[in-house]
Amino acid sequence: MAIKEKTNKQLFVDGILKENPIFKLALSMCPAVGISTSVMNGILLGTAVLFVQVCSSCTISLVRNYIHPKIRIPTYTLTIATWVTVIDLVLAAYVPVAYKAMGLFVRLIVAFAIITMRLEMFACKNPLPKSFWDGFGMGLGFMFAMMTLGFVRELLGSGMIMGYDVLGFKPLLYFVLPCAGFVTVGLMMGFFNWIEVVYERRKKG
Amino acid sequence: MNQIIKITFALTISCVIAASAMGLAYTMTAKAKKHNHHMNVYNAMIGLLGFGEDNPAPSDLKFLNVYRYIVEDGDKKFLGYMVPVEKGTEEAYEMVLIDLEGNFVEKLEVPISAEKAEEAQDRAKALQKVLAAPKIFAYADASVIATSGGKRLGYVLPRKFPGFRTFIHGIVAMDPKFELLGLEIMEHEEDAGLGKEIEQEYFRNQFKGKSYEKLKTLEVVKKPLPVEYKKYLEKSKWEEGMFTEEQIAEIRKQYKDADIYAITASTISSKAVTDGVKNVAKKFAYRIDKLDSVLKKEKIHAAF
Repeated sequence: MAIKEKTNKQLFVDGILKENPIFKLALSMCPAVGISTSVMNGILLGTAVLFVQVCSSCTISLVRNYIHPKIRIPTYTLTIATWVTVIDLVLAAYVPVAYKAMGLFVRLIVAFAIITMRLEMFACKNPLPKSFWDGFGMGLGFMFAMMTLGFVRELLGSGMIMGYDVLGFKPLLYFVLPCAGFVTVGLMMGFFNWIEVVYERRKKG
Repeated sequence: MNQIIKITFALTISCVIAASAMGLAYTMTAKAKKHNHHMNVYNAMIGLLGFGEDNPAPSDLKFLNVYRYIVEDGDKKFLGYMVPVEKGTEEAYEMVLIDLEGNFVEKLEVPISAEKAEEAQDRAKALQKVLAAPKIFAYADASVIATSGGKRLGYVLPRKFPGFRTFIHGIVAMDPKFELLGLEIMEHEEDAGLGKEIEQEYFRNQFKGKSYEKLKTLEVVKKPLPVEYKKYLEKSKWEEGMFTEEQIAEIRKQYKDADIYAITASTISSKAVTDGVKNVAKKFAYRIDKLDSVLKKEKIHAAF
């Protein structure tokens, strides 16, 4: 098996582009569809996921040799739940303004598939620095996807960007509803795949 | 067998570590968290009474809590009001029991300090002493009476009422004549871009200044919100010289008895909030009236 070891930088960039959690891996679709109604929501949830992903990846990577292989999934869930609770509490206590906006999202993170999947696929097999960069890239990739989705849906649904009225009217109110989330995710997925195909073709030709 | 013991042991250890991490975070943040929540509600209440940066609240402004309980004694039901009373310089609490027709039944002294009275658990403990079995009591709600210089400034009512998705937590404020001073939405789970608009000033401020008479028949109308009225309602977006004094007076007069304009595509949420406010206000006005007459008749010197 001649799989080339990825460098830290590659891991980081792959998380954002080549293995983007939403557009490429199609994981964590519930939050992508339910919450990406505005750019701000995307940024807030993205930040929270980034923190939880990095913290959990590092924790699991540190204790990877002590985890009993038969109970690794409960251990991951426990780790994620602990970090989510700690972040939830700290935010509520010391950054009440941000907590007011993201409180609901933070608690949702426990159920995100992307975090468990990264722990299972990567963090439990790799040393700390690599796991850190992988978690960081994945978190940023998730944030990037949520923001682009939020941008499209906010602009079309409410005619606003970052809460500022740019259009002055609401072109397609339907876009703020969850069902339109699926449509947007589908279209964006197609768009990103198309970019990749074009890019690969250029590289060859 | 060996496996089972190993796995059980590993899981137990992980759980203990996780639990202690969470417990540590909780104890470290509990105080600050509570303080934040308290400040949030306090600031909302101050704002609803019309005080702000350019109109500071008087230094002797006091928020007095009246806690309402449902008390059952066998098959008889009473309303129990835990009211702060004046007793020398110290604040004390008395439980005033009123039957369902509004007649005084009995009053009981509640041994609790003002500070502890704000905690639901401490209150229940103190009440257990005076309302011993077979009496059962259940907490219903708390109303806040704002006073300054011995006069009532208004009533602030933190309540929850049904919305489109789940319960909406809001604060309704009324002046002593039961005219609405305003509405603040604290927590809700309505849809973004639709029902979420109930947070917006152009919806909330429509309730401001509605008289008690109008409130009784307040309806939701499915008509577009007039542009000028919307600009007037969005107070935080006012620019200097946007409205003259006369214009403000005129708009206020024109829309004083107007119904509530529904939010586009969210008639149910609009109606839920309007009905909620209507209910809260009507019930409170009736109850405080009854309580006041009982307090007067029995010569109970309440602190408000």
